[in-house]
Formats: sequence, structure tokens, C-alpha cells
Amino acid sequence: MTEARRLSLILAVSLLALAAIFAGPTVLDTYSVNVLTRSLLYAAVALTVDLLWGFLGILTFGQSVFFACGAYAAGLVFTHMDFSTSNAFLALGLGVGGALLVAAIVGWLAFWHGASALYASVITLVLPIVATQLLYSGGTFTGSSSGLSGFMSFDLSMEAWFWLSGSFLVGVTTLAYIFVKSDAGRLLVAVRENEQRCKYLGLDTSRLKILVYLACAAIAAIAGYIYAGYAMVVAPELAGFVFGTELVIWTALGGRGTLLGPVFGALIVDYESAQLAGDYPFVWQLIIGTLFVLVIVAFPRGLLPVVFDLPRKLLGLIRPRVATPAASVTLSTLDPADTQGVEPGEGAALSVAGVVKRFGSLTVLEGIDFEARAGELVSLVGPNGAGKTTLMRCIADGAERTAGSIAVNGYDIGRKPPEACVALGVGRKFQMANVFETLTVAQCLQIARVRHARPSLWCRAQELKLPEAAMHVLATTGLDKQLSTPAHLLSHGMKQALELSMVLALEPRVLLLDEPTAGLTKTERMQIGAILIDLAKKQGLCVLLVEHDLDFVREISSRVIVLHQGRIVLDGSVEEVVASELVKQVYAGSGHAGIDHETAPSPRTELPA
Amino acid sequence: MSRSSLLMAGVFAAGLLAGPALAADDTITIGIPVGLSGANSVVAPSVVQSAELAVEEINAKGGILGKKVVLEVADDASGAAGAQKAFDSLIFQKKVDALISMETSAARNAGLPIVNRGKVPYIYTSFYEGRSCSPYMFVNAWVPDQQVAPIVDFFNKEGAKTYFLIGSDYAFGRGMLAFTKEYIEKTGGKIVGDEYAPMDATDWTAILSKVKAANPDAIITSTAGGAPNVTLTKQLRAAGIKSLYGNLAVDEGTAKSMGPDAEGIYIAGSYFTNIDTPANKAFLAAMEKKFGKDLKTPNDLSVPEYEAVYAYKAAVEKAGTTDAAKVIPALAEVAVEGPRGTIIMNKQRHAPLTMYLGQVKADGSVGIMSTFKDVDPGEQCPKLK
Amino acid sequence: MIGQTLDIVTTAAILYAVATGLLLVFGVMKIINFAHGGLMTLGGYAALLTTQAGLNPWLAIPAAALFGGVVGMAIERFVVRPLYNRPLDAILATWGLSIIIGQLITIAFGRGVQFAESPLNGTLDLFGESYSAYRLALVGIAAVLGIALTALLQGTRLGLETRAVIMNEDLARGLGINSGLVRFLTFTLGSALAGVAGALITPLSSVDPSMGVPWLVNAFMLVLVSGASLVSLLFACLVLGGAQVLVATHFSPVLGGLTIAVLAAIILRIRPQGFARD
Repeated sequence: MTEARRLSLILAVSLLALAAIFAGPTVLDTYSVNVLTRSLLYAAVALTVDLLWGFLGILTFGQSVFFACGAYAAGLVFTHMDFSTSNAFLALGLGVGGALLVAAIVGWLAFWHGASALYASVITLVLPIVATQLLYSGGTFTGSSSGLSGFMSFDLSMEAWFWLSGSFLVGVTTLAYIFVKSDAGRLLVAVRENEQRCKYLGLDTSRLKILVYLACAAIAAIAGYIYAGYAMVVAPELAGFVFGTELVIWTALGGRGTLLGPVFGALIVDYESAQLAGDYPFVWQLIIGTLFVLVIVAFPRGLLPVVFDLPRKLLGLIRPRVATPAASVTLSTLDPADTQGVEPGEGAALSVAGVVKRFGSLTVLEGIDFEARAGELVSLVGPNGAGKTTLMRCIADGAERTAGSIAVNGYDIGRKPPEACVALGVGRKFQMANVFETLTVAQCLQIARVRHARPSLWCRAQELKLPEAAMHVLATTGLDKQLSTPAHLLSHGMKQALELSMVLALEPRVLLLDEPTAGLTKTERMQIGAILIDLAKKQGLCVLLVEHDLDFVREISSRVIVLHQGRIVLDGSVEEVVASELVKQVYAGSGHAGIDHETAPSPRTELPA
Repeated sequence: MSRSSLLMAGVFAAGLLAGPALAADDTITIGIPVGLSGANSVVAPSVVQSAELAVEEINAKGGILGKKVVLEVADDASGAAGAQKAFDSLIFQKKVDALISMETSAARNAGLPIVNRGKVPYIYTSFYEGRSCSPYMFVNAWVPDQQVAPIVDFFNKEGAKTYFLIGSDYAFGRGMLAFTKEYIEKTGGKIVGDEYAPMDATDWTAILSKVKAANPDAIITSTAGGAPNVTLTKQLRAAGIKSLYGNLAVDEGTAKSMGPDAEGIYIAGSYFTNIDTPANKAFLAAMEKKFGKDLKTPNDLSVPEYEAVYAYKAAVEKAGTTDAAKVIPALAEVAVEGPRGTIIMNKQRHAPLTMYLGQVKADGSVGIMSTFKDVDPGEQCPKLK
Repeated sequence: MIGQTLDIVTTAAILYAVATGLLLVFGVMKIINFAHGGLMTLGGYAALLTTQAGLNPWLAIPAAALFGGVVGMAIERFVVRPLYNRPLDAILATWGLSIIIGQLITIAFGRGVQFAESPLNGTLDLFGESYSAYRLALVGIAAVLGIALTALLQGTRLGLETRAVIMNEDLARGLGINSGLVRFLTFTLGSALAGVAGALITPLSSVDPSMGVPWLVNAFMLVLVSGASLVSLLFACLVLGGAQVLVATHFSPVLGGLTIAVLAAIILRIRPQGFARD
């Protein structure tokens, strides 16, 4: 399917939905029109919960607050300044502006580099509690617990309000749908799946989260504004924790990460609750609560996919399902003139001076000094717990080391986060293959190129240009034939190769590789070795490599650094190291004295503890 | 996308079609939106019971204008969102002729725009912070102007000079205490402190320490109903504070659930079960007979509901029709004889009421100490007559 | 001054009693148990049943522990265990459970406020200040709880295994520790402690189906700033509880009610490990 066909299909469906909305009031009774007008607006807010939670992985309890921002802006302006067209615009501006301001503060608190998902959720939990309390203590200004009512509003008929709310919902749903299916939207899933890998691909995930959060806040605020205009009343419960969690329930029941699931979840549950809650006030809540737990435990994808899959499964019994051809992407080599990697700076490609790393009272690295030039292939060896991986981490993330300084291409990395280090020319490949499991090979590579090639907000690129080095890896390993294979189906060796090409797609100057050959077959190891030599010699990369396999080291390295108990004990040519008595002692002794610090989790990756 | 949305739309449409049957023409339907769940759910059953009794009595005597009266109860979940659904359902789906209900202020406010759209008479039967006005709404319960004077006058007579006010930070708490403060200062008392805690507060430590430091002659509280009221009283008693204690938000039922801690609390209201009049005795006997062991103790929120059903009956009979435009003027004129005495909602849509001062006894019942005849509600809705 | 000091110490003691169960679960399982509030409510109703049966009000504490523990076992087995690999979902599921617990209690006992007898009434004279005897007793009870838990964690084999799981679950499992069992026992103990907390607050609070809820967010925040350490929890309760009392006394009780949540959020923003040592 071409891009144009795909987009026009989406538009056609949303036009159908719009037609349904316009037919609504003629088919439905007054009661249903009234109840659904509000449900349609709630559904738009549930949609933002899905964008944040289902796609981006931020469980939020506080979207109610942004809805209330828009609603209260209208309520306050129309109550205290009277209703007029200019005031209506003022109120809309204040509502959206207020929501953006609150979202920016929450974003600053919750989405900074290193904040855990749990912490972010708890912040969104505190938000409605603080907001409700502020509304309560607002006295006659906010109307306190009674809220504001009796203000004038737009003079529209009930049908017109239904059309307005419905069109708004269809509009945002369509835009959100196009966005999440676009190249830019795929980043949301990438961040949810593997935020660490995103950061080390040079993506500022905090910024991305804050931007999406701001957009969601604005959508919720507009929904709230329409709500206040229609209902002509605002109350503190709009900002409350209960409404905030209801939105999460609707999203979970409908199916997170499906956009349409939460929309229908909100519409159905809210509409039905208007009927059933009156008849069975306590049992209704019990049913919803039980259903919610059941869905979370047994159907984490929600009910929409279950309903959706049922006919497909039944059909599948009759005729086997034809695999849908994944969107085809053509690969091409980036014109060397268009490469955007960091220019090699003056002097050493990598210079490490006096680096110290401590975990509490435990010193893992001490007095690490060395320099490496472009074109050098340096191996870091040493027994378990010598601090090799820790050293890699210190080079790729400015916040890691306890003391000392590190410069890449002549630029001091300071305390910069990983994504900023990537911008200086660092590329890091992890020890365990670290890719986006649910995405295809092509999609993984696309995300690695995002730093250089801005992704579209509405389409999917049909062409992927990769730097020569990455193309070389793909071609050597045959990955270029498996572009539409999901990463989790790849073999271990292929995943390693994919991650390496992703890192190379960044056009790094300093390549950090943590045991790139671990678990590979002999042939695969040979391939990787050849590629590495080629990268260093031909491309002029500075490659730093952690390796246990001394034979492999001997084959490829130009230089070896031996670490022992957090210090450099030897830094010399391969021959010097192999001949060294000291190295033999280090390895011989390590079997008993070695404590495996490397498996100790770093506090930074932990929950705030 | 298209297939899933069609599927869901189908499921959804099936839900929509489960519509209700319409009421027949030879009945008069009264809608009762009330907090069956949420904060008001403790008192809501008693409200529904008293409405049921009124309707049974009226139907036994031939209904209103010969038509049978039917009740439609809807849960408003004690809040704004629930009230919108309940009012929509009653007005547009059940097509009620009138609404009579006890609700939170947030629920009432959320319902009023829908009442205005649906143009049905609405009698609000809960005491509240005052000054809520709508051309369709009448109120037959008390407002601060009526309730505060009995307690403060009594405390002044007991020799109280200094007062400490404690409230929950919400419209009713603030509204009541603002009026109380004004009234105390007008009658020569001195406010030595007024403090508000969050509406769901369970911890009154800091406020009680201030009360101890100020050592006032009297304390007047107006918290959110239920839990905050109970926690405040328990903690106040545990802290050993011995001042006169007037509570503007406690009802007989809540007082009982506080056990011995409630003893000695002064409360004012327009209804207590101990009111010694033939009308009240007959009402209580009828309630007892109808509900037996399921009876929820009648109280200051349920009795006005009972009387309001009769007020609507009288107004429809006076107007000769259920047409809202004619019933509304009649509602301001008709008088109802009920357990609380004679009530006419003729003061800017509010009613002068006979108020009582009571004190909680050791067994949790309320002893009536004095009676204040026909206390005026004051200026509530000067724009409506 | 003495009054205020007592306010701070007793407030910290109450917070400590409320948060310990949550802390244990958080430490071992790295999830926040939203059902904690519901389990506290259960403890409150256990206290109600105890006093209604005419038993000594102090017996409410073991009764509440039993109620909480048994329900906790069921929750761990059927809801939390299948969600080991989805911590955010586990949080949501426990929150759904708190709705279920609240509704079941409502159906069984009604929405209304219930009366449970207090084990200790009246005031005590301390440093020339007459102060609520029950609040003072709570300081002792919280201290006993803290010491007993510390002894359990430091002095027993189970405690050692629990600490190992808290530090590094993978490594602990590698050393042959049955981390599933440790999780199960921890959740049961945490739930029992939630029940105990519910029983302990009944003399200060009303017994109703949502009695545990207002305590929940403050308990979360205290646990988050404390990490997995009982000592830092004590510190956090004193500092943040003290701040709450001071703000409520000198500014406004409304701000006081928000103090713990807002201060904790800011502390965690500046220092992700909170009050825990590194």
C-alpha cells in the first residue's frame, strides 16, 4: 500500500465517523445526545491517556487536571468577566496556556533524565490531589466544592454541542492515529520499549516525553473548555483523582495502545454507567473494579483486541491468514558528502584523565588515564569486576563518573547525559544485544537515524539512507535481506549485528563495544572482527572494545589496556601484554579474588531509592 | 482500523437501543436524583423512604388531580458528573414532571443548567450554604442565616466570650462559618481563631493544638459530613478539650456513630425526631408502620423531602395542571403542614423555618432545649421574588 | 513548644505505623501496593468486629493483622504474582483491588460511619502538658513495630534472605534463595501490617469504607523518599511529618495536608535516592 493510499483510507474512515456523528442527533433521543456529548469529550481525554500510557509508557493518573484547566478557564472567565466573544477566546487561551504551564512543571519534575517510570506515575498521582485542594480553597473565586455554575455560555443547541464534541473527538483521534502510525510516532513505542537504547541513539527522550505530554495537556484542556461551554458548570471533581483513574480504567478496558479501544471504552462505559449506576450504584462499581483487575491480569491488551481478534480467529479456521506484507523500505547508501557525523577534532579522539568511579564506599575505578587516536582499535581486558563496563558507561554518560574528566574529539563531555554524548560522537553497543524487540529491522535502523534525518509526523518514509559503515555490516551479515523481520525473531548473532549497525548509523567517531562477540559462532566472530578492523582502518573510527577472548584481541587490536581492580595495570601493544608476567598473574588470581561488581546494578538505573 | 471501529460501533449501538419505556399520561412522575453512592449515600436511603411514604399516602387518597404519582429515583453519586447523568436521565429520558431532592451543592449546581434546559420545577430539600438561585428552583431547608443564631445566642447566654471556629475547606464549611463569624462579632463575642482543614482531612492535630493554646469558651464546627466530622470529634475529645461544642454539620445518625464522644454536642436544626407535635408523631408512626425494621431514622434531610412532595401536590392542585409555568408561581404560595410545622417557600424561593436547639444525650438521641419560631432565611435570591 | 514537639513525634509515629507495610512490599517487590488503603480499611473493620464482639479493644490489632494477612496472601497469589514482570500493571491491579475491597465492605457494612471502641481514652500529663493518651501510646506501638521488624530482618534467616532480595534479586536467586517465597511472605506481612495500621488509626479516625484512602498518598511519598530502609523511613516520617505539623500550625492546615506529597516530590527530583544512603 502506498503512503497516499494509506492516508486517504484513514481520512475516508474518519469522514465516515464524522457522518455518523452528524446523523447522531436524528437517530438518538435527547437523553442519549446529552449524555454522549459529555462522553465524547471524556473519550478525547481518554485518548490522551492512551497516547501517554499505551504508546509512551507513562502511566498517568492526572489527565483530569488538564481537562479541568480548560473547563475552569471557561468557568472563571464567564463567571467573573461575563460571556462575550473576546472573553471566549481569552478563556480558551488561558485554559490551554494554563494546561501547558502545569504540564511543563510536571514534565520538569517527572521526565528528567534518570527519573523512573514509577516516580513519574506518582507525580501524576499527586497532581490531581494538589489541584483539587487548590480549587477547594479558592473560596468564592473558584466556587470551592460547589464549583461554578450559572454563567452564560455559547448559545448553541444540544445538537450543535453534540456535533462540536463529536467532530472534536473524530478530529483528534484521526490526527493521533496518523501520528502514531508515522515515523515520528514510532519513536513513542521505541521509548516505551527501551528508553535506554533510545538515549544511547542520541534521542532526547525527556524532551520527547515532555513534548507529547504538553500536546496531550492541550488536547485535554480544549475538551474541558468545550465541556464547560456545554454543561455550564465546573466542579472540582473534574480535576480529581477519581476522574483521572476512571480515564485509566476506560483506557485499560478498551485496550491500551490501540487509540480506538480507549475511545470506545470511554464512550461505552460512561454511557452505560449513566444507565446502570443509577440502578445498581454499589454493584456497578464492583463490576467495573473486578473487570478492571481481570483485564489487567489476563488481557493486558484490553478488550478491543479481544473483540477484534475473535472474528479473525474464526475466519482463520476457515482460511489460513495470509501474512500482511510489511511496508517495504528500500535501503541506500548515504552520499558521503551528506554525512553529518562530528568532524574529527584536534588531537586524541578520546581522552580520559583521572577518572574515578565509586558506588558508595566501594571504589570501582581509580585514576584512569589514557588517550586513544582516530583509527586505533583499543581492547580493554581484565578479569570480571575489573571495571571495564563501568569505564564504558562513564565515557558514554557524563553523569556516571565520580571524578576526573573525559573528552571526545576534543570536547569535554562534562556531566552531559548519554544523548548529548552521542551528539559529540560517542556510539555505544551494549553487552547484551539491545534493540527494539517489537520493531522490524528497518524500523530499528530508522530510529537510529532519527538524530540525523528528522522523521515525518504523518508519513512513513519509503527510503532509508544509511552511512556506508552501517550498510557494510548489513550486507556482510545478510541483514539487508531481512528488513521487515521483527527484531525479536532474529538470532542472537543477528541481533548483535543489528545493534552494531544501529550504532554505526549514528555516524560515531568513538565506538564503544562491550563484548561484541559474546555468544557468537566462530564465523560470526570472524565477520565482526573483519568489520571492526575495517571501521578503524578505513573509516578512521576510534574503537574501544571490551573483550574476554584474548585470541580475538590479539587478532584485531592495535593496542591493549589491562584493567585490574579498577586501575590500569598495563597499556601497550598486543605483544607486550601477551608477554607480560603481570597479566598472567592478574588472570590467574582473579578466579578466587574476583568479585563480580559488574553485575551490581548501578543506582542510577534503579528506582529512586 | 475500519473493521474494528465498525465492530465496536455495533456493540455500542446495541447498548444505545436499550432505551426505556415512557411514562403513561395518567400519572405524575416525580424524579429524585440523590446520592445513593458517594458522600451522601449514608443519608440518601432515609430521603428515598420519606418520599415513598409521601407518595403512598397521596396515592391512597386519590393522587394529584386524580392522577397516580410515580417516583423515579436516580443515583447522582453525590457529585457533579453523576448529577448530570441523573438529571439528564430523569428529565429527558424518564420525562419527569418535577424534581425533588436532597443533594450536595456540587450536584445541585451541575443539575441546574439541565433543569433550565428541561424547564421542570425543582424543589431542593437539603440545607446548604445559601444563595443558589434559579427560576425553576425552590428550597424548603435551612440556610446559615437560619441555623447559626440559635447556637450562638445560647452560647452567649451561657457566658461564652471567646469562640474558635473549625471547618472543612469547602463551600458549605466556609459559607456557614463566614456567617457565624459575622453573627458572633455582631452579638459581642470574640473570635480567637478560625481554621479550615482540607475536605477529606483525617488529621486535626495542628488545629487542635491551636484550640488548646487559645482555650476558647466555645467551639463551633462546620465540617464535611461523615468521616471528617467523626474524626474531628474523636480527636477533639481525645485531646481533652472541654469548651462548649456546637456542631453545625452533625445529624442524629452521625452523632450515634460517634458513641460516647458525641455526648454534650450542641446542634441546631429544623427537625429532630424528638419534636413533640402531633404531626411529627403521626409521621414517625407512619414511617415505622411502612418500613418496620428497615426504617432509616428520619432526619433533617429526609423530612423536608417528605414535605416537598406535599408542597408539589398543593401547587399542582392550585395551578390545576402540571405545566411548569403555572406550577412555579403556585409553589411560592402554597402552605404545607408537616412534621416541621407550617412551611411556605415564599421568601425569595426559600422558607422561614422553626428552628430547634438540641444537645446530644448519652444514648445518642438529641434533647431539644429551645425552639425559635419562623426564623427568616434573609436575602437569598433578591433577583427572584 | 512542648505541645508542638509532641504533635510532631506522635504524627511521625502514626505515619510510620501506616507506611511500614508499604515499605516492605516496595523494598522487595519494587511495586507500590495501591491496595494498602483498602487493607487498612479492612483492619479498621476488623477492629469494629472485635469491639462489637465485646472483646478487649487491644485484641483488634492481632485480629486486623490476621484479616490483612489472609487477604494479602490471596492478592499476592492471584493478582500480584502473574504481574511480576509488569510492575506498573501490578500497581494498577492493586488499585482495582482497593476498589473491590471498598465496595465489598460497603455492601457488607453499608456506607455509614461505624463506631468502634477505643482501647485508651483521656489524656496524660507529660512535661506539664496534658496530651491525648492514645497518641502517646502510638509512639510506643510504632517503636515496637519498628524494632520487631528490624529484629526480623537482621536476626533471622528469612530476614537475611529478604535483605538479599531487596539488594539484588537476580543474585539472590542465583545463590539459591527462593525469591518467590520471599515475595509471598513479604506481601503477606506487608498486608498484615496494613491491617494493623488500620486498626491503630480507628480511635483517631472514623470507620467507614474509604477510611484508608486519605492516608495512601502520604504513605506512598514517605516510602518513595525512604527507599527500602526502615531507618530512613523513620527519618522521613520525622522530617516530613514534622514539616506537615509546622506548615499546618503556622501557615494553613490546607497547605499542611499537601506538605508531605509536594516536599517528597521535590526532594526526589533533587535527590533521586531520597533519604536513603546512596
